[in-house]
Amino acid sequence: MERQEIFLGNGAIALGLVEAGSQVVTSYPGTPSSEILPEVVRLIKSEGLNTYVEWSTNEKVALDNAFAAAISGKRAACCMKQVGLNVAADSLMSAAYLGTRGGLLIISCDDPGPHSSQTEQDTRFMARLAKVPVLDPSNPEEARQMVGLGLDISEEFAIPVILRPAIRVCHARQNITFKTIKKNDQKASFEKDPMRWAATPRFRFILHGELNKKLEEIGKRFDGLSQYNFHDLEPGKTYPLGIVAGGVPYAVTRDILSEERRTDIPVLKIGTPFPFPEALASELMSACEQVLVIEETDTFIEYLLRDRNKVLGRLSGHVAREGELVPEVVHALINRVLKELDLAPLEADGNGEAMELVKNLQLPVRRPTLCPGCPHRPAFFSIRKARPKAIFTSDIGCYTLGLNLGVVDTCLDMGAAITMASGFYHAYAQDGVEQPIVATIGDSTFFHSGTAGLLNAVYNGARFILVILDNMITAMTGMQPTPALGIRADGSEGKAISLERIVAGCGVDFIEVVDPYDIEKTTDIIKKAADYVAGPDGGVAAIIARHPCVIADRQEAIPQKKVVMITDDCTDCNFCIDRFECPALYHDEELGRTNINREICSDCGVCLQICPKGAIVEVEG
Amino acid sequence: METTNIVLCGLGGQGILFMTKIFAQVALGKGLNIMGAETHGMAQRGGSVVSHLRIGQVESSLVRTGAAHFLLALDETEAYRNLPFLSKGAGMYVSTHAGDFPRQETIGFLEKNKIVCHAIPAATIAMELGAPLSTNLALLGYFSAFGEGPMSKEELRGTIANISPDQLRESNLKVFDTGLKRGLEEKGE
Repeated sequence: MERQEIFLGNGAIALGLVEAGSQVVTSYPGTPSSEILPEVVRLIKSEGLNTYVEWSTNEKVALDNAFAAAISGKRAACCMKQVGLNVAADSLMSAAYLGTRGGLLIISCDDPGPHSSQTEQDTRFMARLAKVPVLDPSNPEEARQMVGLGLDISEEFAIPVILRPAIRVCHARQNITFKTIKKNDQKASFEKDPMRWAATPRFRFILHGELNKKLEEIGKRFDGLSQYNFHDLEPGKTYPLGIVAGGVPYAVTRDILSEERRTDIPVLKIGTPFPFPEALASELMSACEQVLVIEETDTFIEYLLRDRNKVLGRLSGHVAREGELVPEVVHALINRVLKELDLAPLEADGNGEAMELVKNLQLPVRRPTLCPGCPHRPAFFSIRKARPKAIFTSDIGCYTLGLNLGVVDTCLDMGAAITMASGFYHAYAQDGVEQPIVATIGDSTFFHSGTAGLLNAVYNGARFILVILDNMITAMTGMQPTPALGIRADGSEGKAISLERIVAGCGVDFIEVVDPYDIEKTTDIIKKAADYVAGPDGGVAAIIARHPCVIADRQEAIPQKKVVMITDDCTDCNFCIDRFECPALYHDEELGRTNINREICSDCGVCLQICPKGAIVEVEG
Repeated sequence: METTNIVLCGLGGQGILFMTKIFAQVALGKGLNIMGAETHGMAQRGGSVVSHLRIGQVESSLVRTGAAHFLLALDETEAYRNLPFLSKGAGMYVSTHAGDFPRQETIGFLEKNKIVCHAIPAATIAMELGAPLSTNLALLGYFSAFGEGPMSKEELRGTIANISPDQLRESNLKVFDTGLKRGLEEKGE
């Protein structure tokens, strides 16, 4: 019997990578891409492959490393989230011109919603900007197959290729049938050719011309790629309405039309949005009076359809310009178009009555919070206690949730806690104002893009407190190791990098390491740091708040459990709930005071230090 | 075969993904096609978490509102939040301690749409058995008593036995069985 397994979409992509003989896979974790590399590791172990894998320190680093492997003739891939491709954009734009020798696949995972990202940006536009082909899968199985297609196209045309699975592909689960995995023994053989690999602007012009020719050829290929680009038009027939869809919205649209048995609406699926399969699109445009475009998250296909007068979509106001195209949204927008065109509407209703009912129930919004026992919580608590009037610049990771404790004022992009802190400093210093500033950044984010901003801040004389929230792991994205841990992507030992030494190397003279579980000591050190910052020789004061993530290693994080209870001294002042914001602390209606939810309490005992009335005590014995 | 649409919901950290995995594994064992959608990332830090699972020949992983055949909720509030997914005649299985479940305001809607509500204090059961992190399995056991969907209680139980780590197997099954017993009692079996 054929071997089947349920794969996460990211696992299916990993399977596609090993099936296609990828020899090098690099990545920086970021939702929704984070599981691809760990799945590759799982497969190379189970299949006995020698694929080189690495967690790179950031996405640009990941792409450069994969690029070098690819131009030495190997098959390489790098994986990241869509905003990670912004970080790697410098590399991508240039790599498109230089081209590759071995296959180079860049997997950039989009996040319509957004569920876990700063933007809803559409990677297809990034591909168009860089002038590289992009493939847009509708489900895990198709993503797996497109990995092979992408590497083949890349190798054949000597061009990097982007695969852009959206979150509903990455985090979908589907049963996948195994195929035999062949080992790829291609050896590294970089052929020197400085006119190309180190091309100066004069040669870049020539390379640009070559790139344009490649795209033209690939465009023709895509027109005939009926496995991924296809329509169900009947020859000679005309239709009042046709639909063009790609990626996840194609799958959603297909299911809705199948359920409703609507064979009267032809659908063109675009699996390769760039270079655009022009000929195929023209066939649909000619056969239909109106064409509705359903795509995520921007207007990529919509811009490329030539006869705008026929096109309905975001630009005509029929499709929302932001947010995810979930089935009920697609259902409603198709129905709206059908009604406007006097065509038979869909039968199923969108359950509007239930949505109205739920709205009226006024359910509490369940905002994400730092976990019970999280070391970031006491770090934030201490920062606020020591520097209540500061501007709090922060960054991207679990600790963005410091928002809930009132200790995160800004979150721009990776590394911006530091760069914005120096920016704020100079903006205020120019007016002669000594504005306290505390920047918080996680360890992994610091490794990703903290150093350039830090040495800039030190060099240019900025003064602020930098707290590196070092939980010794990349927590938010699923517990990937950081360079400080000395464990590599495949579990092997690497050289551990010291945060303290990097910070010192950036020119910081005040460096303290503290365990944030000790609130008094942490608060004291922040006050000491504030004195240094304001002092005559002040500058950036760095505090490394080091304590293991409670999810990554509960035993390590809480070696000694402290069971706590709340006594009748509690005056129901809510200080702990507002300022400490532990989900295990709640207002008990019956008792008329704060209580502890034993189901989720981690027994970290940190809250023993916070109650102004001393009403949180340790249970004896 | 007709498609079966399942929605599972609760809060981050309650074990929604594990519950989804059990359903998916049972379906796979029966040679059925599955397609599911999960929540990862920031929402896992205690926020609302929803998992969709579709069994049958489908293209997309998301269940449309009004199309779920049953809903399993590890949190009462999340159960209400996900009401729009339920189809007419659907079943709803909720972990709650509230004596007044379901809320008065929802009864008219539920009756009109013939949605059957089942409630169990799954968290208390799991806590009493010394396995507070297995609330999900108490609910799953309870659900399995009612014979909904293309999977039997024996298949669900067998899959839990198969995929549980050795040190948790016995405890997981005990919690599942306790939930199952509650369900069977409620059915009068």
